[in-house]
Amino acid sequence: MNYPVWELYFSGGGFLMVVIAVVHVYVAHFAVGGGLFLVLTEMKAYRENNGDILAYVKSHTRFFLLLTMVFGGITGVGIWFTISLLSPTATSTLVHTFVFGWATEWVCFLGEIIALFLYYYRFDKIDRSSHLILGWLYFIFAWLSLFFINGIIDFMLTPGDWLQTKSFWDGFFNPSMLPALVFRTALCLFLAGIFGFVTAVFFARPHLRNKMLGYCSRWLIFPLPVMVLSALWYFAVLPDAVQSMILGHSPEIAPAVALFGGLLPVFLILALIMRLKVPARVQVVAAFVCLMTGLVYMGAFEWIREAGRRPYLIYGHTYSTSVRVGEEAALYKDGILKSARWVQHRTVTLENEQKAGQEIFRIACMGCHSIGGPINDILALTADYSMMGMQAQLNGQGKLLTYMPPFMGTGDERWALARYIVRGLHNRQEPTRDTQELNEIPVEAPVFDPAIAQYVLLAWSDKGMHGMTDNDRFWSFQPPDSSIYAQLILRGETPEIVTGGVTIAYAVEKDHAVPSSQVDFWTYAKALTGRTIPADTGLSGNTLSGPMQFDDNLMAFHAEHLPVVPYRNDGSFNPYPRFKLEARDGDTGELLAQTSLVTPVSTEMGCKKCHGNARQIDGRPNMDDHTAKNILAVHDRINKTDLLSSARKGQPLLCQTCHPGNPPDVKGKSEHLSLSAAMHGFHANYMGDLGDDACTACHPSASDGATHAFRGIHHEIELTCANCHLSIQDHALSLLAGEKHAGKKTRAEALMKHLASPSVDAHDRIAPRTAWAGQPDCLNCHVEFEPPETDQVEYNTWTQTADQRYSRRTGDAGLMCMACHGATHAIYPARNPYGEDLDNLQPLQYQGAPYPIGSNGECRVCHTIDMEDEIHHPNMLGEFRNTR
Amino acid sequence: MHPATLIPAPDTIPVHWGWLKFFLILTFYLHLLLMNSMLGIGIIALFKSLFDRSGSKEYNREISAKLPYTIAFTVNMGVAPLLFIQVLYGQFIYTSSLLMAVYWLSITAILIIAYYSAYLHHYTFDSAGPARSVFMAITVINLLVIGFFFSNNMTMMLSPETWARYFSSPGGTLLNLGEPTLIPRYLHFILSAVAVGGLFMALVWKLKPHAHASACRENIKQSLNWFLMATLMQFGVGTWWLLALPRHVVRIFMGGNTWATAFFGLGLLGTILSLIFGYKARVRRCAGATLLTILCMVLMRDALRTAMLEPYFSLGMLEIDPQYGSLLLFLVFLGLGSAAIVYMLKLAFRNNPEVGS
Repeated sequence: MNYPVWELYFSGGGFLMVVIAVVHVYVAHFAVGGGLFLVLTEMKAYRENNGDILAYVKSHTRFFLLLTMVFGGITGVGIWFTISLLSPTATSTLVHTFVFGWATEWVCFLGEIIALFLYYYRFDKIDRSSHLILGWLYFIFAWLSLFFINGIIDFMLTPGDWLQTKSFWDGFFNPSMLPALVFRTALCLFLAGIFGFVTAVFFARPHLRNKMLGYCSRWLIFPLPVMVLSALWYFAVLPDAVQSMILGHSPEIAPAVALFGGLLPVFLILALIMRLKVPARVQVVAAFVCLMTGLVYMGAFEWIREAGRRPYLIYGHTYSTSVRVGEEAALYKDGILKSARWVQHRTVTLENEQKAGQEIFRIACMGCHSIGGPINDILALTADYSMMGMQAQLNGQGKLLTYMPPFMGTGDERWALARYIVRGLHNRQEPTRDTQELNEIPVEAPVFDPAIAQYVLLAWSDKGMHGMTDNDRFWSFQPPDSSIYAQLILRGETPEIVTGGVTIAYAVEKDHAVPSSQVDFWTYAKALTGRTIPADTGLSGNTLSGPMQFDDNLMAFHAEHLPVVPYRNDGSFNPYPRFKLEARDGDTGELLAQTSLVTPVSTEMGCKKCHGNARQIDGRPNMDDHTAKNILAVHDRINKTDLLSSARKGQPLLCQTCHPGNPPDVKGKSEHLSLSAAMHGFHANYMGDLGDDACTACHPSASDGATHAFRGIHHEIELTCANCHLSIQDHALSLLAGEKHAGKKTRAEALMKHLASPSVDAHDRIAPRTAWAGQPDCLNCHVEFEPPETDQVEYNTWTQTADQRYSRRTGDAGLMCMACHGATHAIYPARNPYGEDLDNLQPLQYQGAPYPIGSNGECRVCHTIDMEDEIHHPNMLGEFRNTR
Repeated sequence: MHPATLIPAPDTIPVHWGWLKFFLILTFYLHLLLMNSMLGIGIIALFKSLFDRSGSKEYNREISAKLPYTIAFTVNMGVAPLLFIQVLYGQFIYTSSLLMAVYWLSITAILIIAYYSAYLHHYTFDSAGPARSVFMAITVINLLVIGFFFSNNMTMMLSPETWARYFSSPGGTLLNLGEPTLIPRYLHFILSAVAVGGLFMALVWKLKPHAHASACRENIKQSLNWFLMATLMQFGVGTWWLLALPRHVVRIFMGGNTWATAFFGLGLLGTILSLIFGYKARVRRCAGATLLTILCMVLMRDALRTAMLEPYFSLGMLEIDPQYGSLLLFLVFLGLGSAAIVYMLKLAFRNNPEVGS
């Protein structure tokens, strides 16, 4: 925040550093090892009294001089130029802390130059021993250069006690200094052998060529064990977080680690080839392959070391954004624009947000990201984000995935940055929601004649808001799986709930009868669920028409796990398929009662907002292949799974295969977080500041979305998700507390670490709950069924068991709550955008009004007479308050 | 936007700034001598090869052999002042470097080209014939470009009032072409290089065992002519530079600041003496006077920097976090390194009866 930022586009993202640093470091290590190579080879020539070898040394010295002195020396200065341009803040720290370390290294550099010039220009002009002394002195100076630079470079990775003491000596003799020195020294000798190949391979005489190539190969082979052991030592002294970063936490390191380990056998093979008397052409090719492989190896090592420091430039001291540790709080409070010196816009306004976003991008992102360049390309990395997704990414950045620093700025600045990236860089103006033509569905409530009807048939779907995924060839979050329930009441002054002697049949409307024509679930059912399921059949074997079963505990009929999808047979989207129910006498088959209900189901899941650029394919709010693959790739990257390759091989997985959740017959793996805890816990870290949008981002509840699944009276009176479910942080934290309570401490705490509850001030004050059991209890607000005094549910007050949930609860007379009040999220009177009374079919059928069954004194629906006692629950005889 | 708001906050320094200033001036002085020699002999060689081919071959051969390692030592000796200036004035030079980042970073590539071209000139001196002039031209032009970039940076770091141009051009492509002192300052350094280059060659020929041979004497004379011409021209260019400076800065050399005025006066005296000695072909004395002059110029340059930054910054504002142990480390290594260098030179140039065995 102190310095301007060089606005690099294509060549940003460390590209310059890679180009200049890797080639320099490669040559610079050769400059050290090559010095020893020269003097030892010269001694060998004297020892063997071999003029040819001496001639080789002389010619190699010229090559050495031209390469190390010119290219190596100048690119070394170039690194200084480069780092001071890319990160003046960190460079300033290095320079000010180690000015006399650098100055000492400069003395060594001077000695190195003089020694090498004298060694080269005085070859054959002075006595052997003097010449050898010059050679040895060159090597000593060169190694001392390495000694000093190594200490300072490793300071950046492991500053150790310097962070507290700020002592030159603590910084220089930092924890990784010694192992790195041993490793680099061995590497220097190793590279001396490689460069030795490059000159030796051009000897015309085969005998000498083979002899020197064999000699050079020993320079590769002998240091190799030292390199391996010291690399392990080096790794062992690194802090846990750095080790974790190197071992795969950072996606940008993994290829480098693979190269770092994987190339060693390649070198051995090349060294072996050089020891064999193969044709000269093969030797030349092998020498240059070895040279290039060495460069790649050097690059891999430096890349690991550089990227292992993430999210810092100087570990624990300076973030890769050049923000110093300790400055975070002020940045969160005052913002980047007010804290940075080199900005023109000090606040974000509606008029300047894109320009301000560009300045924020320059300061906070350009240190690491290019725009369209080969390294850390922001365009590629953000291609899948909508505006909301981009904001969520910025909000969650640095919390769970720590290779990037957190976005340290205000909410307005985050918005401005997201806007600049999505609209400025990507030039996207995407819709914020899935859009859908809301074709009105005719609402035809079955006829009910209270004068002659003997029965009342009440029916409902147990899930008033229900999402499913429809890209089963890659993975499934939720298969087609809806359940309907019904209670049949024999009317009379004292009505009875019918428990036997009748059959109740259900049948989906014919437009929805062939779901297999719309989704691939049945093609991949075996992979997803472990068993073959016939087409158009649900998880329990039920099809879309058939008889309902009776549940003695609930005193209700049910048809569970029905394969309902939100697509008609013609492919059009309809998230409210209707079922028709008929109750008949068990003996005579006489029709006793009939009714209709909708079973909400939607594929309007918001994954694409962050994982698929909010694209809508074919006008359906479905999950396209790109989004599905992106999600698997992200999961694979973070969790080291291979879900994407498995799916590509025709073996997609159901999330619940590992993460316990619904459907209940797929048990999951007990050590994994439940699906609900994992999903909410992970995403709360990113979406915590989105308020209600955090819910509607993923669930099909947005009032401007394709489904509008939150359509009951609570929506009508302008409650939001958070009134019952609280914020996403609270929602997630309680689930994670439940998982922690169940023994999954590490996994739960990892997701809880950065989540702060808006409701309580400490994690240990969060009541644990279990998904699909601990839910908001209606009676928390409707105490004693009275009008609520608050519209905000209290935290930590969940239902204790699954049977206490609204969907399973029963009133005092045995009627289930939903029978009279409708499905969750569609509480009567609901207002469905696809047909205003689509969810109110039974109230309309039996009462001619969309209010709860029996409300406003409509006891006659079942009782045939007016009632004075509140039999089902207190306060039921009061006048319904929220009338239309 | 006030320029002062753009100046970054400096970091703490490990020893009193006087130490750092001392090393900055000392190493810059050595760098300047080497740089002047390097560029000067390059320019002379190029000029001679283009316009004075008769009898220039041996002269240029001498330059050809010396230019590569002169470049090496110039670069090495440039590293130290670049380090010390970052410590003392980092908030200025990091910023100005960044504003002209494209040019500043390109110095690396340009220098490599210049350096290799000098080696090509050397290695192909006999085989390439007149074409070798191309190599020398490449070297000289590239070195001149580098010098121009340095002049831009060194003036831009002193002019925070020009930095706000960054907001309309953040891509690192700014130069300081609007600075009135840029051109005279640059020309002053180039002329200085030619003069010192001439003097350097005069010393080279003077130190030859056959220095009294007529060819050598002619070369010394030619070399000193380069020195005299360039130095005389400095009076014009130097005056131009002086007049282009802001009034308050000029004033420090005109009695406003005792030390600055003394350096100026001493520098003028040294220049006059070097001209006299040069005219009389007293090479060593001329060199002595020139060394004095250049030292005064370096000190004047430092006084100029101090005066230019005075509205924003003075070294006394730097906070110290004492780390004198690290200074001791440097001093010890500087002593040991110097001893080793002397030892190596002795080894390399002593009489060796064993040679050839």
